Amino acid sequence: MYNILLVCSGGMSTSLLVTKMEKSAKDQGIEVSIKAIGEADLKNNSENIDILLLGPQVKYILPRIKEKMESKGTIVDVINTVDYGTMNGEKVLNHAISMIQNK
Amino acid sequence: MNRFISFMERKFVPVAAKIGGQRHLVAIRDGFVAIMALILAGSTGLVLKNTLFKWIPALGGLIPICDQVWWGSLAIMTLLVVFTVSYSLAKSYEVDALAAGIVAVGSYFATLPQSYGDAGWGFVHWQYLNATGLFTGLLVALIATEIFVKLVKKDVTIKMPEGVPPAVGRAFAAVIPGMTAIFTFGILFLIINKLGGNSLYDVIYQTVQKPLQGLSQGVGSAMLAAMLINLFWSFGLHGANILDPIMNALYLPALEANAAAIQQGLAAPNVITRVFFDSYIHLGGSGATLALIIAIFIGAKKRKEYREVAKLSAPLGLFQINESVMFGLPVVLNPMLFIPFIITPGVLTLIAYLATASGLVPPTYVAIPWISPVGIGAFLATGAGSGSWRAALLAIVNLVVAIFIYLPFIKLADRQVSKKTETSSK
Repeated sequence: MYNILLVCSGGMSTSLLVTKMEKSAKDQGIEVSIKAIGEADLKNNSENIDILLLGPQVKYILPRIKEKMESKGTIVDVINTVDYGTMNGEKVLNHAISMIQNK
Repeated sequence: MNRFISFMERKFVPVAAKIGGQRHLVAIRDGFVAIMALILAGSTGLVLKNTLFKWIPALGGLIPICDQVWWGSLAIMTLLVVFTVSYSLAKSYEVDALAAGIVAVGSYFATLPQSYGDAGWGFVHWQYLNATGLFTGLLVALIATEIFVKLVKKDVTIKMPEGVPPAVGRAFAAVIPGMTAIFTFGILFLIINKLGGNSLYDVIYQTVQKPLQGLSQGVGSAMLAAMLINLFWSFGLHGANILDPIMNALYLPALEANAAAIQQGLAAPNVITRVFFDSYIHLGGSGATLALIIAIFIGAKKRKEYREVAKLSAPLGLFQINESVMFGLPVVLNPMLFIPFIITPGVLTLIAYLATASGLVPPTYVAIPWISPVGIGAFLATGAGSGSWRAALLAIVNLVVAIFIYLPFIKLADRQVSKKTETSSK
Protein backbone atom coordinates (compact mmCIF):
# COMPACT_ATOMS: atom_id res chain seq x y z
CA MET A 1 0.00 0.00 0.00
CA TYR A 2 1.51 3.29 -1.13
CA ASN A 3 0.41 6.63 0.21
CA ILE A 4 0.66 9.35 -2.41
CA LEU A 5 -0.19 12.99 -1.79
CA LEU A 6 -0.61 15.52 -4.61
CA VAL A 7 -0.35 19.21 -3.78
CA CYS A 8 -1.27 22.20 -5.92
CA SER A 9 -2.62 25.64 -5.03
CA GLY A 10 -6.23 24.68 -4.44
CA GLY A 11 -6.22 20.91 -4.84
CA MET A 12 -8.56 21.26 -7.83
CA SER A 13 -6.55 20.39 -10.91
CA THR A 14 -4.60 17.69 -9.09
CA SER A 15 -7.86 16.07 -8.03
CA LEU A 16 -8.56 15.21 -11.68
CA LEU A 17 -5.11 13.64 -11.90
CA VAL A 18 -5.98 11.60 -8.81
CA THR A 19 -8.95 9.95 -10.51
CA LYS A 20 -6.76 9.13 -13.52
CA MET A 21 -4.03 7.70 -11.31
CA GLU A 22 -6.50 5.64 -9.31
CA LYS A 23 -7.90 4.20 -12.51
CA SER A 24 -4.45 3.28 -13.70
CA ALA A 25 -3.62 1.70 -10.33
CA LYS A 26 -6.78 -0.37 -10.51
CA ASP A 27 -5.93 -1.55 -14.03
CA GLN A 28 -2.47 -2.57 -12.90
CA GLY A 29 -3.71 -4.09 -9.66
CA ILE A 30 -1.62 -1.82 -7.45
CA GLU A 31 -2.88 -0.88 -4.01
CA VAL A 32 -2.56 2.87 -3.46
CA SER A 33 -4.13 5.66 -1.52
CA ILE A 34 -3.95 8.93 -3.45
CA LYS A 35 -5.15 12.27 -2.22
CA ALA A 36 -5.07 15.80 -3.65
CA ILE A 37 -5.00 18.85 -1.42
CA GLY A 38 -4.35 22.57 -1.60
CA GLU A 39 -1.06 23.89 -0.34
CA ALA A 40 -2.68 25.58 2.67
CA ASP A 41 -4.12 22.23 3.77
CA LEU A 42 -0.76 20.51 3.87
CA LYS A 43 -0.12 21.04 7.57
CA ASN A 44 -3.21 18.95 8.38
CA ASN A 45 -2.34 16.11 5.98
CA SER A 46 1.38 15.56 6.34
CA GLU A 47 1.49 12.27 8.25
CA ASN A 48 2.41 8.85 6.82
CA ILE A 49 3.01 9.93 3.24
CA ASP A 50 5.38 7.88 1.06
CA ILE A 51 5.69 10.43 -1.70
CA LEU A 52 4.46 14.00 -2.06
CA LEU A 53 4.13 15.33 -5.61
CA LEU A 54 3.84 19.04 -6.31
CA GLY A 55 1.95 20.46 -9.28
CA PRO A 56 4.53 22.25 -11.47
CA GLN A 57 2.76 25.57 -10.99
CA VAL A 58 3.69 25.55 -7.30
CA LYS A 59 7.22 24.21 -7.72
CA TYR A 60 8.43 27.39 -6.01
CA ILE A 61 7.37 25.92 -2.66
CA LEU A 62 9.61 22.88 -3.21
CA PRO A 63 12.46 23.95 -0.88
CA ARG A 64 10.04 24.75 1.97
CA ILE A 65 8.12 21.48 1.57
CA LYS A 66 11.32 19.43 1.25
CA GLU A 67 12.69 20.84 4.47
CA LYS A 68 9.45 19.98 6.23
CA MET A 69 8.67 16.56 4.78
CA GLU A 70 11.98 14.85 4.19
CA SER A 71 12.62 14.59 7.92
CA LYS A 72 9.45 12.51 8.11
CA GLY A 73 10.79 10.13 5.47
CA THR A 74 8.58 11.46 2.69
CA ILE A 75 9.98 11.77 -0.84
CA VAL A 76 9.18 15.15 -2.39
CA ASP A 77 9.12 15.70 -6.14
CA VAL A 78 7.56 17.93 -8.81
CA ILE A 79 5.26 16.36 -11.40
CA ASN A 80 6.60 16.42 -14.95
CA THR A 81 4.90 19.35 -16.73
CA VAL A 82 3.93 17.39 -19.85
CA ASP A 83 2.45 14.50 -17.86
CA TYR A 84 0.63 17.05 -15.75
CA GLY A 85 -0.71 19.05 -18.67
CA THR A 86 -1.95 15.94 -20.46
CA MET A 87 -3.23 14.48 -17.16
CA ASN A 88 -1.33 11.26 -17.80
CA GLY A 89 -2.27 9.36 -14.65
CA GLU A 90 -0.41 6.20 -15.59
CA LYS A 91 2.96 7.87 -16.12
CA VAL A 92 2.73 9.93 -12.95
CA LEU A 93 1.70 6.87 -10.94
CA ASN A 94 4.45 4.64 -12.29
CA HIS A 95 7.06 7.32 -11.78
CA ALA A 96 5.90 7.82 -8.19
CA ILE A 97 6.01 4.11 -7.40
CA SER A 98 9.45 3.64 -8.94
CA MET A 99 10.70 6.54 -6.81
CA ILE A 100 9.34 4.91 -3.65
CA GLN A 101 10.89 1.58 -4.58
CA ASN A 102 14.30 3.08 -5.39
CA LYS A 103 14.44 5.04 -2.19
CA MET B 1 11.51 36.43 -28.19
CA ASN B 2 13.32 33.25 -27.24
CA ARG B 3 16.19 35.29 -25.84
CA PHE B 4 13.78 37.41 -23.86
CA ILE B 5 12.17 34.31 -22.38
CA SER B 6 15.45 32.73 -21.38
CA PHE B 7 16.55 36.06 -19.86
CA MET B 8 13.33 36.22 -17.83
CA GLU B 9 13.74 32.62 -16.75
CA ARG B 10 17.15 33.40 -15.32
CA LYS B 11 16.33 36.76 -13.69
CA PHE B 12 12.61 36.89 -13.00
CA VAL B 13 11.67 33.34 -12.04
CA PRO B 14 14.00 32.98 -9.01
CA VAL B 15 12.73 36.28 -7.61
CA ALA B 16 9.13 35.28 -8.24
CA ALA B 17 9.73 31.93 -6.62
CA LYS B 18 11.17 33.64 -3.59
CA ILE B 19 8.13 35.90 -3.27
CA GLY B 20 5.83 32.90 -3.64
CA GLY B 21 7.54 31.08 -0.82
CA GLN B 22 8.00 34.06 1.50
CA ARG B 23 6.83 33.03 4.94
CA HIS B 24 4.82 36.15 5.86
CA LEU B 25 3.09 36.38 2.49
CA VAL B 26 2.22 32.69 2.71
CA ALA B 27 0.79 33.27 6.19
CA ILE B 28 -1.34 36.16 4.90
CA ARG B 29 -2.60 34.04 2.02
CA ASP B 30 -3.44 31.07 4.24
CA GLY B 31 -5.10 33.46 6.69
CA PHE B 32 -7.41 34.70 3.94
CA VAL B 33 -8.12 31.14 2.82
CA ALA B 34 -9.20 30.29 6.36
CA ILE B 35 -11.87 33.01 6.51
CA MET B 36 -13.31 32.31 3.04
CA ALA B 37 -16.23 30.26 4.41
CA LEU B 38 -17.41 33.22 6.48
CA ILE B 39 -16.89 35.68 3.61
CA LEU B 40 -19.07 33.50 1.39
CA ALA B 41 -21.66 33.19 4.16
CA GLY B 42 -21.86 36.96 4.59
CA SER B 43 -22.18 37.42 0.84
CA THR B 44 -24.89 34.78 0.59
CA GLY B 45 -26.88 36.57 3.26
CA LEU B 46 -26.53 39.81 1.34
CA VAL B 47 -27.72 38.23 -1.91
CA LEU B 48 -30.73 36.62 -0.20
CA LYS B 49 -31.63 39.93 1.38
CA ASN B 50 -31.54 41.76 -1.96
CA THR B 51 -33.20 39.07 -4.07
CA LEU B 52 -35.47 36.35 -2.69
CA PHE B 53 -36.34 38.06 0.59
CA LYS B 54 -37.04 41.30 -1.27
CA TRP B 55 -39.09 39.78 -4.08
CA ILE B 56 -41.32 37.67 -1.86
CA PRO B 57 -42.85 39.99 0.76
CA ALA B 58 -43.80 37.07 3.01
CA LEU B 59 -40.10 36.31 3.50
CA GLY B 60 -39.24 39.94 4.33
CA GLY B 61 -39.40 39.14 8.03
CA LEU B 62 -36.32 36.94 7.65
CA ILE B 63 -34.05 39.80 6.56
CA PRO B 64 -32.65 40.33 10.11
CA ILE B 65 -31.09 36.85 9.82
CA CYS B 66 -29.08 38.02 6.82
CA ASP B 67 -28.09 41.20 8.64
CA GLN B 68 -26.79 39.27 11.62
CA VAL B 69 -24.81 36.85 9.44
CA TRP B 70 -23.25 39.83 7.69
CA TRP B 71 -22.47 41.38 11.10
CA GLY B 72 -20.70 38.20 12.13
CA SER B 73 -18.69 37.75 8.94
CA LEU B 74 -17.94 40.56 6.48
CA ALA B 75 -18.39 43.26 9.13
CA ILE B 76 -15.61 41.81 11.31
CA MET B 77 -13.26 40.70 8.55
CA THR B 78 -10.13 42.31 9.97
CA LEU B 79 -10.70 40.79 13.39
CA LEU B 80 -10.94 37.34 11.79
CA VAL B 81 -7.87 37.87 9.64
CA VAL B 82 -5.76 39.06 12.57
CA PHE B 83 -6.33 35.71 14.23
CA THR B 84 -5.96 33.48 11.17
CA VAL B 85 -2.82 35.19 9.83
CA SER B 86 -1.15 35.07 13.22
CA TYR B 87 -2.17 31.43 13.58
CA SER B 88 -0.74 30.50 10.17
CA LEU B 89 2.50 32.37 10.77
CA ALA B 90 3.08 30.82 14.20
CA LYS B 91 2.25 27.41 12.77
CA SER B 92 4.89 27.84 10.07
CA TYR B 93 7.44 28.46 12.85
CA GLU B 94 6.04 25.44 14.71
CA VAL B 95 5.22 27.55 17.74
CA ASP B 96 1.93 27.30 19.69
CA ALA B 97 -0.37 28.77 17.04
CA LEU B 98 -3.47 29.15 19.20
CA ALA B 99 -1.55 31.15 21.81
CA ALA B 100 -0.06 33.37 19.11
CA GLY B 101 -3.47 34.01 17.54
CA ILE B 102 -4.98 35.03 20.85
CA VAL B 103 -2.06 37.33 21.59
CA ALA B 104 -2.43 38.94 18.16
CA VAL B 105 -6.15 39.62 18.62
CA GLY B 106 -5.44 41.11 22.05
CA SER B 107 -2.62 43.21 20.63
CA TYR B 108 -4.88 44.50 17.87
CA PHE B 109 -7.45 45.67 20.40
CA ALA B 110 -4.63 47.26 22.39
CA THR B 111 -4.04 49.61 19.46
CA LEU B 112 -7.67 50.78 19.35
CA PRO B 113 -9.13 53.78 21.16
CA GLN B 114 -11.55 52.96 23.99
CA SER B 115 -14.17 55.50 23.11
CA TYR B 116 -15.77 56.62 19.93
CA GLY B 117 -17.01 60.16 19.27
CA ASP B 118 -20.29 61.02 20.88
CA ALA B 119 -20.96 57.41 21.86
CA GLY B 120 -18.62 57.90 24.82
CA TRP B 121 -16.41 55.40 26.58
CA GLY B 122 -16.60 51.66 25.99
CA PHE B 123 -17.52 51.64 22.30
CA VAL B 124 -15.45 50.12 19.53
CA HIS B 125 -16.58 51.40 16.15
CA TRP B 126 -17.10 48.62 13.60
CA GLN B 127 -14.81 50.34 11.10
CA TYR B 128 -11.95 49.10 13.27
CA LEU B 129 -13.08 45.53 12.72
CA ASN B 130 -14.23 45.50 9.10
CA ALA B 131 -11.94 45.56 6.08
CA THR B 132 -11.01 49.24 6.44
CA GLY B 133 -8.76 48.14 9.28
CA LEU B 134 -7.16 45.39 7.22
CA PHE B 135 -3.69 46.89 6.75
CA THR B 136 -3.38 47.74 10.43
CA GLY B 137 -4.67 44.30 11.32
CA LEU B 138 -2.18 42.51 9.10
CA LEU B 139 0.69 44.61 10.40
CA VAL B 140 -0.21 44.05 14.04
CA ALA B 141 -0.79 40.33 13.47
CA LEU B 142 2.61 39.88 11.83
CA ILE B 143 4.57 41.98 14.35
CA ALA B 144 2.83 40.57 17.43
CA THR B 145 3.40 37.04 16.18
CA GLU B 146 7.06 37.75 15.37
CA ILE B 147 7.64 39.09 18.88
CA PHE B 148 5.85 36.11 20.38
CA VAL B 149 7.65 33.53 18.24
CA LYS B 150 11.11 35.07 18.69
CA LEU B 151 10.78 35.12 22.49
CA VAL B 152 9.35 31.61 22.68
CA LYS B 153 12.22 30.34 20.53
CA LYS B 154 14.76 32.17 22.69
CA ASP B 155 13.27 30.32 25.63
CA VAL B 156 12.47 33.48 27.57
CA THR B 157 10.29 31.79 30.13
CA ILE B 158 9.75 32.06 33.84
CA LYS B 159 12.21 29.82 35.70
CA MET B 160 10.43 27.94 38.43
CA PRO B 161 12.23 27.08 41.67
CA GLU B 162 13.13 23.43 42.23
CA GLY B 163 10.25 21.33 43.54
CA VAL B 164 7.69 22.92 41.23
CA PRO B 165 6.47 20.30 38.76
CA PRO B 166 7.96 20.88 35.30
CA ALA B 167 4.49 20.93 33.72
CA VAL B 168 3.71 24.09 35.67
CA GLY B 169 6.77 25.77 34.19
CA ARG B 170 5.70 24.80 30.68
CA ALA B 171 2.25 26.26 31.29
CA PHE B 172 3.94 29.59 31.81
CA ALA B 173 6.01 29.29 28.60
CA ALA B 174 3.78 31.68 26.68
CA VAL B 175 3.50 34.23 29.48
CA ILE B 176 6.51 36.47 28.90
CA PRO B 177 6.36 36.35 25.07
CA GLY B 178 2.62 37.09 25.10
CA MET B 179 2.96 39.90 27.64
CA THR B 180 5.80 41.49 25.73
CA ALA B 181 3.79 41.47 22.50
CA ILE B 182 0.65 43.07 23.89
CA PHE B 183 2.59 45.58 26.03
CA THR B 184 4.48 46.65 22.91
CA PHE B 185 1.22 47.69 21.29
CA GLY B 186 -0.03 49.32 24.48
CA ILE B 187 3.14 51.43 24.53
CA LEU B 188 2.76 52.18 20.82
CA PHE B 189 -0.76 53.48 21.46
CA LEU B 190 0.55 55.86 24.13
CA ILE B 191 3.34 57.12 21.84
CA ILE B 192 0.94 57.78 18.94
CA ASN B 193 -1.44 59.44 21.37
CA LYS B 194 1.25 61.74 22.79
CA LEU B 195 2.31 62.68 19.27
CA GLY B 196 -1.24 63.87 18.62
CA GLY B 197 -2.51 60.89 16.61
CA ASN B 198 -5.73 59.07 17.38
CA SER B 199 -4.64 55.44 16.92
CA LEU B 200 -2.43 53.19 14.83
CA TYR B 201 -5.48 52.44 12.69
CA ASP B 202 -6.02 56.10 11.82
CA VAL B 203 -2.34 56.66 11.06
CA ILE B 204 -2.04 53.63 8.78
CA TYR B 205 -5.41 54.11 7.18
CA GLN B 206 -4.65 57.70 6.25
CA THR B 207 -1.03 57.27 5.18
CA VAL B 208 -0.95 53.78 3.64
CA GLN B 209 -4.25 52.02 3.12
CA LYS B 210 -6.33 54.88 1.71
CA PRO B 211 -3.74 56.07 -0.86
CA LEU B 212 -2.96 52.49 -1.91
CA GLN B 213 -6.61 51.65 -2.29
CA GLY B 214 -7.20 54.84 -4.26
CA LEU B 215 -4.33 53.84 -6.52
CA SER B 216 -5.60 50.28 -6.84
CA GLN B 217 -8.98 51.56 -8.04
CA GLY B 218 -7.32 53.15 -11.07
CA VAL B 219 -7.88 51.24 -14.28
CA GLY B 220 -4.13 51.25 -15.00
CA SER B 221 -3.18 49.46 -11.80
CA ALA B 222 -5.98 46.94 -12.23
CA MET B 223 -4.77 46.15 -15.76
CA LEU B 224 -1.23 45.86 -14.47
CA ALA B 225 -2.30 43.48 -11.69
CA ALA B 226 -4.21 41.27 -14.11
CA MET B 227 -1.32 41.17 -16.58
CA LEU B 228 1.24 40.53 -13.87
CA ILE B 229 -0.59 37.35 -12.87
CA ASN B 230 -0.19 36.10 -16.41
CA LEU B 231 3.46 37.13 -16.57
CA PHE B 232 4.09 34.75 -13.65
CA TRP B 233 2.08 32.06 -15.40
CA SER B 234 4.08 32.49 -18.60
CA PHE B 235 7.01 31.07 -16.69
CA GLY B 236 5.05 28.23 -15.14
CA LEU B 237 4.42 29.85 -11.77
CA HIS B 238 0.92 30.08 -10.34
CA GLY B 239 0.57 33.86 -10.62
CA ALA B 240 -2.85 34.10 -9.03
CA ASN B 241 -1.57 32.12 -6.07
CA ILE B 242 1.61 34.15 -5.64
CA LEU B 243 -0.15 37.50 -5.91
CA ASP B 244 -3.11 36.39 -3.79
CA PRO B 245 -2.01 38.14 -0.56
CA ILE B 246 -1.60 41.41 -2.42
CA MET B 247 -4.82 41.06 -4.39
CA ASN B 248 -6.73 40.24 -1.21
CA ALA B 249 -5.19 43.09 0.76
CA LEU B 250 -6.09 45.63 -1.94
CA TYR B 251 -9.30 44.34 -3.44
CA LEU B 252 -11.06 42.49 -0.63
CA PRO B 253 -11.60 45.76 1.31
CA ALA B 254 -13.05 47.24 -1.90
CA LEU B 255 -15.48 44.32 -2.10
CA GLU B 256 -16.37 44.65 1.57
CA ALA B 257 -16.94 48.41 1.18
CA ASN B 258 -19.33 47.72 -1.72
CA ALA B 259 -21.11 45.06 0.32
CA ALA B 260 -21.42 47.38 3.31
CA ALA B 261 -22.82 50.18 1.13
CA ILE B 262 -25.41 47.88 -0.46
CA GLN B 263 -26.23 46.46 2.98
CA GLN B 264 -27.12 50.00 4.04
CA GLY B 265 -29.03 50.75 0.84
CA LEU B 266 -26.38 53.04 -0.64
CA ALA B 267 -24.56 52.97 -4.00
CA ALA B 268 -21.43 50.79 -4.16
CA PRO B 269 -18.33 53.02 -4.22
CA ASN B 270 -15.79 50.77 -5.97
CA VAL B 271 -15.51 49.54 -9.55
CA ILE B 272 -12.73 47.02 -9.05
CA THR B 273 -13.09 44.37 -6.36
CA ARG B 274 -11.63 40.97 -5.60
CA VAL B 275 -14.37 39.19 -7.58
CA PHE B 276 -14.25 41.65 -10.49
CA PHE B 277 -11.24 39.71 -11.79
CA ASP B 278 -12.83 36.28 -11.39
CA SER B 279 -16.06 37.49 -13.01
CA TYR B 280 -14.76 39.30 -16.09
CA ILE B 281 -11.05 38.55 -16.57
CA HIS B 282 -10.08 35.01 -15.52
CA LEU B 283 -12.61 33.44 -17.86
CA GLY B 284 -11.86 29.74 -17.56
CA GLY B 285 -8.78 30.52 -15.47
CA SER B 286 -6.01 33.16 -15.54
CA GLY B 287 -5.54 34.51 -19.06
CA ALA B 288 -9.11 33.68 -20.14
CA THR B 289 -7.92 30.27 -21.27
CA LEU B 290 -11.47 29.14 -22.04
CA ALA B 291 -11.24 31.58 -24.94
CA LEU B 292 -7.94 30.00 -25.91
CA ILE B 293 -9.58 26.56 -25.93
CA ILE B 294 -12.40 27.83 -28.16
CA ALA B 295 -9.87 29.55 -30.44
CA ILE B 296 -8.10 26.20 -30.84
CA PHE B 297 -11.34 24.47 -31.80
CA ILE B 298 -11.93 27.19 -34.42
CA GLY B 299 -8.43 27.83 -35.69
CA ALA B 300 -6.14 24.84 -35.13
CA LYS B 301 -6.83 22.58 -38.09
CA LYS B 302 -3.52 20.74 -38.30
CA ARG B 303 -2.27 20.79 -34.76
CA LYS B 304 -3.83 17.59 -33.49
CA GLU B 305 -2.02 17.83 -30.15
CA TYR B 306 -3.56 21.28 -29.58
CA ARG B 307 -7.02 19.89 -30.21
CA GLU B 308 -6.40 16.94 -27.90
CA VAL B 309 -5.32 19.21 -25.04
CA ALA B 310 -8.25 21.52 -25.73
CA LYS B 311 -10.68 18.60 -25.57
CA LEU B 312 -9.21 17.41 -22.29
CA SER B 313 -9.21 20.92 -20.84
CA ALA B 314 -12.64 22.15 -21.90
CA PRO B 315 -14.61 20.56 -19.02
CA LEU B 316 -11.99 21.85 -16.54
CA GLY B 317 -12.10 25.30 -18.13
CA LEU B 318 -15.83 25.54 -17.50
CA PHE B 319 -14.95 25.64 -13.81
CA GLN B 320 -12.04 28.05 -14.12
CA ILE B 321 -9.35 25.37 -13.85
CA ASN B 322 -6.66 25.64 -16.51
CA GLU B 323 -3.49 23.84 -15.44
CA SER B 324 -3.93 21.29 -18.21
CA VAL B 325 -3.91 24.04 -20.87
CA MET B 326 -1.03 25.82 -19.19
CA PHE B 327 1.24 22.78 -19.16
CA GLY B 328 -0.41 20.67 -21.85
CA LEU B 329 -0.25 23.00 -24.84
CA PRO B 330 1.85 24.43 -23.25
CA VAL B 331 1.13 28.11 -22.64
CA VAL B 332 4.06 28.13 -20.23
CA LEU B 333 7.31 29.21 -21.93
CA ASN B 334 5.55 29.37 -25.29
CA PRO B 335 6.92 32.31 -27.32
CA MET B 336 4.01 32.10 -29.76
CA LEU B 337 1.32 32.52 -27.11
CA PHE B 338 3.27 34.88 -24.84
CA ILE B 339 1.89 38.07 -26.41
CA PRO B 340 -1.85 37.26 -26.50
CA PHE B 341 -1.61 35.64 -23.09
CA ILE B 342 -0.26 38.85 -21.54
CA ILE B 343 -2.42 41.27 -23.55
CA THR B 344 -5.76 39.53 -23.02
CA PRO B 345 -6.23 40.20 -19.28
CA GLY B 346 -5.28 43.86 -19.81
CA VAL B 347 -7.85 44.35 -22.56
CA LEU B 348 -10.56 42.49 -20.67
CA THR B 349 -9.92 44.56 -17.53
CA LEU B 350 -10.25 47.75 -19.56
CA ILE B 351 -13.56 46.67 -21.11
CA ALA B 352 -15.03 45.50 -17.81
CA TYR B 353 -13.84 48.68 -16.09
CA LEU B 354 -15.47 50.94 -18.67
CA ALA B 355 -18.71 48.95 -18.59
CA THR B 356 -18.90 49.05 -14.78
CA ALA B 357 -17.78 52.66 -14.32
CA SER B 358 -20.27 53.91 -16.90
CA GLY B 359 -23.09 52.06 -15.13
CA LEU B 360 -23.80 49.68 -18.02
CA VAL B 361 -23.39 46.78 -15.63
CA PRO B 362 -23.98 46.84 -11.85
CA PRO B 363 -20.94 46.84 -9.54
CA THR B 364 -19.63 43.61 -8.00
CA TYR B 365 -20.22 43.25 -4.27
CA VAL B 366 -20.73 39.53 -3.61
CA ALA B 367 -17.91 37.11 -2.89
CA ILE B 368 -18.20 34.10 -5.18
CA PRO B 369 -16.31 30.80 -5.22
CA TRP B 370 -13.57 31.13 -7.83
CA ILE B 371 -14.77 28.02 -9.66
CA SER B 372 -18.02 29.76 -10.75
CA PRO B 373 -18.40 29.31 -14.54
CA VAL B 374 -18.18 32.21 -16.99
CA GLY B 375 -21.28 34.39 -16.81
CA ILE B 376 -22.72 32.69 -13.75
CA GLY B 377 -19.89 34.15 -11.68
CA ALA B 378 -20.59 37.66 -12.96
CA PHE B 379 -24.34 37.18 -12.43
CA LEU B 380 -23.85 36.19 -8.78
CA ALA B 381 -21.06 38.67 -8.07
CA THR B 382 -23.33 41.56 -9.00
CA GLY B 383 -25.98 40.33 -6.59
CA ALA B 384 -28.20 38.28 -8.94
CA GLY B 385 -30.38 41.40 -9.23
CA SER B 386 -32.31 42.92 -12.10
CA GLY B 387 -29.19 44.24 -13.87
CA SER B 388 -27.08 41.15 -13.31
CA TRP B 389 -27.92 39.57 -16.66
CA ARG B 390 -26.03 42.49 -18.22
CA ALA B 391 -23.01 41.54 -16.09
CA ALA B 392 -23.28 37.96 -17.35
CA LEU B 393 -23.48 39.32 -20.89
CA LEU B 394 -20.35 41.41 -20.30
CA ALA B 395 -18.49 38.26 -19.23
CA ILE B 396 -19.54 36.58 -22.48
CA VAL B 397 -18.60 39.64 -24.56
CA ASN B 398 -15.19 39.55 -22.89
CA LEU B 399 -14.89 35.87 -23.73
CA VAL B 400 -15.57 36.61 -27.41
CA VAL B 401 -13.04 39.46 -27.39
CA ALA B 402 -10.45 37.10 -25.92
CA ILE B 403 -11.19 34.50 -28.60
CA PHE B 404 -10.46 37.11 -31.25
CA ILE B 405 -7.17 38.03 -29.56
CA TYR B 406 -6.02 34.40 -29.41
CA LEU B 407 -7.30 33.30 -32.83
CA PRO B 408 -4.64 34.90 -35.10
CA PHE B 409 -1.84 33.47 -32.94
CA ILE B 410 -3.38 30.00 -33.00
CA LYS B 411 -3.68 30.21 -36.79
CA LEU B 412 -0.05 31.28 -36.96
CA ALA B 413 1.01 28.31 -34.85
CA ASP B 414 -1.12 26.10 -37.06
CA ARG B 415 0.52 27.39 -40.23
CA GLN B 416 3.98 26.84 -38.74
CA VAL B 417 3.26 23.18 -38.28
CA SER B 418 1.93 22.74 -41.81
CA LYS B 419 5.08 24.39 -43.22
CA LYS B 420 7.19 22.03 -41.15
CA THR B 421 5.40 18.94 -42.43
CA GLU B 422 5.67 20.24 -46.01
CA THR B 423 9.42 20.69 -45.76
CA SER B 424 9.91 17.35 -44.08
CA SER B 425 7.85 15.53 -46.72
CA LYS B 426 9.92 17.02 -49.56
